[in-house]
Amino acid sequence: MRLYGRSRAYEDSEGGAINVSPLIDVVFILLIFFIVSATFVSLPGIEVMRPKTQTAKSLEKNSILFAISQENQIFHAGEEILLKEIPRFIELASKDRKKPVVIQPDEWADAALLAKVILQARSKAPSVSIATRKPK
Amino acid sequence: MKRSLKSLPTDEVEINVSPLIDMVFILLIFFIVATSFINESGITSKYKDTAYNSLSEQPPLSFQLPASGQLMQNGLVIGLEEIAPIVRNAKGKSKSLVLIQVSPGSKAGLATQAMDQAILGGAEAVKLSPIAR
Repeated sequence: MRLYGRSRAYEDSEGGAINVSPLIDVVFILLIFFIVSATFVSLPGIEVMRPKTQTAKSLEKNSILFAISQENQIFHAGEEILLKEIPRFIELASKDRKKPVVIQPDEWADAALLAKVILQARSKAPSVSIATRKPK
Repeated sequence: MKRSLKSLPTDEVEINVSPLIDMVFILLIFFIVATSFINESGITSKYKDTAYNSLSEQPPLSFQLPASGQLMQNGLVIGLEEIAPIVRNAKGKSKSLVLIQVSPGSKAGLATQAMDQAILGGAEAVKLSPIAR
């Protein structure tokens, strides 16, 4: 078996073998690109209608995301969580270095709940932002 | 040395690259799947809790959001566009700390837009504070 494989490989190099080196090069470049750009952010799991604002700035990509739905439920990493669990989830998500928190509120969510979520998040996170969309 | 080895087919040493390619492909697919290209834009409210607690300081500019969906300042109903000029005019006096007091039942969209307007007016710190009822 081994002998057969070797002899065939030798014959292939004589007549029209596919050169895989450029393929490996391209795949390596893609691999390095995706390793560098990987941030591993766990999305909240629901899509919300963000409020429109004028002063919106681009936020830190590597942050901890929370979402508040229209029905005033808080979501994190695909699950519904309670208000008092927020500091625990922030500690869990930022093991050694502190990550900023981004809250995605629905336009029609309760503002008092948003304020409470910000207060909870602020106890553990260095900065708390509200995700918005820019008016087109 | 290498050439002499290659000239003899029986002694030829070839590195088999197929497992390497397999591994690299698996890693590539893993990173493609795991990468999430999120580009979130938003507003950040900066404030220090200590600045707000001291009573000796001038009280911050405050706006109220009652459950009725209006926007008020000192009992007067104001429009969303009026926040920025109010903050801009008061800038010298109260260190541009803006407090937005929200009642249960008011909407997050309006609160966020009020914060946005306050930042537009030059506020350095905007705080959302819930009113317990």
